[in-house]
Amino acid sequence: MADVPRLRRDVLLEVKAKIQQGVLPQWVFADPDVYRAEVHQIFAKTWNFLGHESEIPRPGDYVTRWIVHDPVLLLRDEQGEIQAYLNSCTHRGTKLCTADFGQRKTFTCPYHGWTFNLNGDLVGVIAGNKVYGQEMDRSQWSLRKLPRVASYQGMIFGSLNPDAPSLMSFLGDLKWYLDIMLGRSDGGMEVRGVPQRWIIHTNWKVSSDNFGGDPYHTAMTHRSTVELGISPKDPMYASYGHQVVLNHGHGINLITAKAGLNVPPYQGLPREMWPMFERNLTPAQRQVFEKTMIMVGTCFPNLSFVSPMHGTGGPDEPLTSFVNFRVWRPIGPAKIEITSWFMVDKQAPEAFKEASYLSYIGSFGPAGTLEQDDAEIWTRVVEASQGTMAQDKDVHYNNVLNYLMGLGRVEPDPTWPGPGIAYPTCYLDAISRAFYEHWIDALLAEQDTDVLVPNR
Amino acid sequence: MDISYEDVVQFLFREAALLDQREYEAWLALLDEGIRYRMPVRVTRDFGESDDFIDDMTFFDETKRSLQTRVERFRTTSAWSENPPTRTRHIVSNIRVVNRERPDAVQVASYFLILRSIRDSSESAHIFGERVDTIHRVDGQLKLAERTIYLDQTVFPMLNLSIFI
Repeated sequence: MADVPRLRRDVLLEVKAKIQQGVLPQWVFADPDVYRAEVHQIFAKTWNFLGHESEIPRPGDYVTRWIVHDPVLLLRDEQGEIQAYLNSCTHRGTKLCTADFGQRKTFTCPYHGWTFNLNGDLVGVIAGNKVYGQEMDRSQWSLRKLPRVASYQGMIFGSLNPDAPSLMSFLGDLKWYLDIMLGRSDGGMEVRGVPQRWIIHTNWKVSSDNFGGDPYHTAMTHRSTVELGISPKDPMYASYGHQVVLNHGHGINLITAKAGLNVPPYQGLPREMWPMFERNLTPAQRQVFEKTMIMVGTCFPNLSFVSPMHGTGGPDEPLTSFVNFRVWRPIGPAKIEITSWFMVDKQAPEAFKEASYLSYIGSFGPAGTLEQDDAEIWTRVVEASQGTMAQDKDVHYNNVLNYLMGLGRVEPDPTWPGPGIAYPTCYLDAISRAFYEHWIDALLAEQDTDVLVPNR
Repeated sequence: MDISYEDVVQFLFREAALLDQREYEAWLALLDEGIRYRMPVRVTRDFGESDDFIDDMTFFDETKRSLQTRVERFRTTSAWSENPPTRTRHIVSNIRVVNRERPDAVQVASYFLILRSIRDSSESAHIFGERVDTIHRVDGQLKLAERTIYLDQTVFPMLNLSIFI
């Protein structure tokens, strides 16, 4: 029998109390029992991002993906419907498809030759009637479907939990903000090429929390871009705007310029796209989007996004925005695989699409001048979290980490036109505290349905 | 004057040494002003499917200007991925001239194996693959006019790519 996570409930309750006080015990970044509990109680219960509809536009198009340790075969069937299967033959369990993407009508297992069609039906068994007889009920041996698959704004999610709430309810108020990034233009977004993939020795919570709630790191982690004159010298530059705490552990920062500074509306997106924003966004969404320079956040647990304005040259180069989504796939307490998709509006001018791609390549991804340094620092967090002192579960002053920023000091902005609890600064740990509170509630939940209850 | 095989080998070995010694300004001087420096993403595809390099998505898609910006960044005090610097060996081998259609330019393919030591980790990260370069002569000097880096790994195995290949 698989290891059953053995986390003492009183220890978890103490962690929860600490989180509510604005501190986080460091041991949770590198504890193997926490990791196993997360796999069972978070990733097996929640919605996991699998891919974008534009990656599989035609019947027979498929991509292979992972939900933590579950290999997933995601495809479009003959009817044009999206299907997601466990990528494992029902005969002896072989990983059925090893290509990253492609076009097929059937999938044949290389072990004994069982063949499945796009609907997952077992349509071929070598010497079937001779060895299994006419009585074999092939319908019993179809590919195993993921219990749930659903899409929003072209984003395909799967859940291993048949009782998961609907995707719409899971995304909740985040949808309003996803609309701004993904639903603003006619026809939505498209993925360019394939996602980049790479490995970092860190814990998934470190990167999820960084994108979700930590604009404060930009001034120091990305100080090289300040030295180069690409980013402003003002150490508060990523604080202007709003940090919005959303339900279900999600959060987004909508960073603006300092009041009074002139920035191009709509992240400098080409003027000819603006009429589409009129058509597709509400006045309140446009009001927020028009002033925003950077959108960055996390859809709990491990889907993050960033849409900044960035330049690949020096300070005289124009800044171009892009949209990037990434999954931090946990593959152990101290190891993640990043899968990172560059997306662009289908209806954007071709010149913008190219500039936007170059802006992404230059700043994010493994070679990106910003992300290079993020990865360096995230590995250092976990490297320093594995020893006896950091792992001491007797929580006291020197093995908890500081998530106190703004606690009890910053009040929500009642004039914010969007959903969620919006604070008038992005240098704030409100999203992080909500993220970790949602996380610990999921580990504490004993009933499946408790895992995704909204934050109270 | 024709570019000899010896010229090509000396050029590539000198370039590798400059990269490993972090003499990036001298390395930039080897690059043509119009250089195209690209590293497409590699994928696993079904047997018989055509190309397993994705031209549309890359790790590097650089001009001389963007490479200069990357070098200038390494010279700041806060490019943490290389502060302290990682240590590399660019092993370049199997060098062969694949095209000599013009007298003043050659297309050269070479294998690379890059070993990288990071901080005090005893494990060395490594990446490997093939580069296809166009090297030409400008005012008597050999310059790299184009480089495409074909990595063999589909999942990039290092935490970042804060080095040049």
